[in-house]
Amino acid sequence: MIEAKGIFKTYGKGESAVEVLKGIDVSVSDGEFSVILGASGSGKSTLLNVISGLERPDKGQMLYDGMDICTLKDKEVTAFRRENVGFVFQQYYLLPNMTVDKNVRMGADLAQNKDYKEIIEAVGLADKLRKYPAELSGGEQQRVAIARALAKKPKFLFCDEPTGALDEETGRLTLDFMSNLQRQYGFSIIMVTHNANIARMADTVIRMNSGRVISVEKNADVKSAYEIEW
Amino acid sequence: MIVGLKDSLKLIGVSILACCAVFVCTMFLNYYFDLRAVGDLVTDANAQALYDAQLLTSKVVILITGLCLALTAVVMLFFYIRHYIDAHKKQLGILKALGYADIKIASGFWTFGLSVFIGAAAGFALAFAVMPTFYATQNNEKLLPDMSVGFHGEILAYFVIIPTLIYASVAILYAYYKLKTPVIALLKDSVQYKNVKKRGNEREKTSFLTGVALNVLSGKKSLAFFIFFAAFCFSAMIQMGLSMRELASPMMEAIMIAIGVLLACTTLILAVVTAVKENAKTIALMRAYGYSQAECANAVLGVYRPFGLLGFAVGTVYQWGLLEMILALVFKNVETNYKFDFVAMAISFAVYVVVYEAILLLYALKLRKASLKQIMTE
Ligand SMILES: Nc1ncnc2c1ncn2[C@@H]1O[C@H](COP(=O)(O)OP(=O)(O)OP(=O)(O)O)[C@@H](O)[C@H]1O
Ligand SMILES: [Mg+2]
Repeated sequence: MIEAKGIFKTYGKGESAVEVLKGIDVSVSDGEFSVILGASGSGKSTLLNVISGLERPDKGQMLYDGMDICTLKDKEVTAFRRENVGFVFQQYYLLPNMTVDKNVRMGADLAQNKDYKEIIEAVGLADKLRKYPAELSGGEQQRVAIARALAKKPKFLFCDEPTGALDEETGRLTLDFMSNLQRQYGFSIIMVTHNANIARMADTVIRMNSGRVISVEKNADVKSAYEIEW
Repeated sequence: MIVGLKDSLKLIGVSILACCAVFVCTMFLNYYFDLRAVGDLVTDANAQALYDAQLLTSKVVILITGLCLALTAVVMLFFYIRHYIDAHKKQLGILKALGYADIKIASGFWTFGLSVFIGAAAGFALAFAVMPTFYATQNNEKLLPDMSVGFHGEILAYFVIIPTLIYASVAILYAYYKLKTPVIALLKDSVQYKNVKKRGNEREKTSFLTGVALNVLSGKKSLAFFIFFAAFCFSAMIQMGLSMRELASPMMEAIMIAIGVLLACTTLILAVVTAVKENAKTIALMRAYGYSQAECANAVLGVYRPFGLLGFAVGTVYQWGLLEMILALVFKNVETNYKFDFVAMAISFAVYVVVYEAILLLYALKLRKASLKQIMTE
C-alpha cells in the first residue's frame, strides 16, 4: 500500500516561490489502477514525482507499506526505485541513439530479466527490435517506453499522460494492453491524465485542484479501453 | 556577429595550450638567438661543448613542444567548432535558409582565432618575465659569456601573430567545410538525422550498460584522443622532469612538471565535461530508473580509461626514448649516469590515477544534482 501523508512541495524561494502541493493525503492499495485527474498546473506531475521517489517533498511522509522513503538517503532511494518502480513519461524519453532492444534492456537489466523479449512481443514490436526511436511512430515509441518500464518488473508503474501524444486509436490500443499486462503481472498503476474518460477504466480516481486533493472515488463500474468514450 | 565573443572565450583550453607552447618556445628561441650572438666569444673547449649542447637542446625542445602542442591545439579547435556547429545547427540552418552564403557565415568564425591570440600573448609575456632567471640558471657555472635578454621582433611574429592568423583562417575554412551540409539536415533534429546511420549497439548480446559505453565511444571519438593526450603529456612531462634532475636545472624541471600537470588537467576536464554534457539525458534517465551513480559514471566515463592508460604508457616510452636520444646526441662527451627511472614512473602513475579518478568522482557527484525534468526539457 502507498500512503502520502501531509505532502507539501514548493518550488523557488522568496517572492518567486510557488507552493505546488499544499498538504496531500492520499492512499492507494496494491494492484490497483489509479488515475490522477486535474487541470493543467494543478500539481499532478509533481505529485507523481514525489510519490515515485524522483523528487523529495518539503514536508510529509511517503509511506510504502509503512516505510517512509523520504527518510532514506539518495543512494537508498535510488535502490528503492531500482527495485520497485517503473516510469512511463509523457514525452517517452527514449534514448535516441539506442535501438528498441537496448532501450528495453535498460529496464530489463536492472531486474536481470532475461525474458524481456516476451514483453516486446506483447507490445507488438517484435519485428522492430533493431530500429531506432526516430524510425518509429509516436505510438510505437510510447509502447517501447511501456515495454522498458515493464521489463524491469516493477511493483508500481507510474505513468504521466502516457496517451497524451497519441491519437484515439493508438491511445485505446496502448491503454488496453497496459490494463491487460496489469492483470497478467499484478503491479499497481498510477496514471496522470487530462482525459476524464480514461478515469472510467480506473479502480480509484483521485481529483486534484491547485495543489490539493479534492476527491477520491472508487469506481464501481470499471470499463475497458474500448468501452470508454475518448 | 555569428559567433559571439563569449563563445570564443570558452575555448580556454586552446588558450592554455597556446600559452604553454608559446611560453616554452619563446623562451628557448630567444635564448637560442642570444646564445648564437655570443658564439664568437666562446673559446675554451669545455665551454664550446656546453654551447653546442645548449643550442641543440633549445632546438629539440622548440620542435617537440611546439609541434606537439600546436597540433593538439588544432585538434581542439576543430573539436570546438564542430561542437559549436552541432549546438547551433538550427540557427545556422535558418541563416542558410535565409540565403546567407556559406562563406559569409563561416567568416564569422574568425573570432575563434582570438583564443589563440590571448593564450599566445600571455605565454609570450610570461616567457619574458621568467627569462632573466632562466638565463642565469642556464649558465650557473659561468662557462659561457654573459648574456642579457634581447628582444627579437621575429619571435613575436612567429609565435603570436602568425599562429593567430593561421588559426583564424583554419577556423574559417573548417567551418566553411562543415557548413556544406544541406539546410534541411541543419534544421532537422540533430539526433534524428544522425542516428539512423549509427548501428553500433544493435547487437543483441551486449548488456545495456555496455551498449551505453559503446555508444558514448562511437559518438565522440575525439574525446578518446584528448584523454590519450592528457595522459601522454602528464606521463612524459612529469617523468622527464623528475628524471632530468641531473641534466637540467631545477627550474626547467619545475617548468616541465607544471606544464605537464596543467595540460593534463585542462584536457582531462574538457573531455570529462563534454562527455557528461553529451550524455546528460541518458544519465538522467538512468538515474530515474535506479541505476547507481557509479554505474552511470562508469558507463559514460569509464570507457575512456584504457585510452588514458595507453597514453600514459606511450608517454613513458616517449620520454625515455627522447632522453636517451638527447644523451646520445648532446651529452656524448659529458659523463652522465641516466637510467630509466622506475621511481619517477611509479610516482607519476600513482598521481595520474588519483587525478583521473578524482575528476570522475567529482563529475559523478555533479550528476546527482540535476533533475530529470530539467535535463529532459533543456
Ligand atoms: N521545477 C519547477 N520550478 C518552478 N515551478 C515549477 C516547477 N515544476 C513545476 N512548477 C510549477 O508547479 C505547478 C504544477 O506543475 P505540474 O507539472 O505538477 O502540473 P501538472 O498538473 O502536471 O500540469 P500539466 O497537466 O500541464 O502537466 C505549475 O504551476 C508549474 O508552473
Ligand atoms: Mg504534468
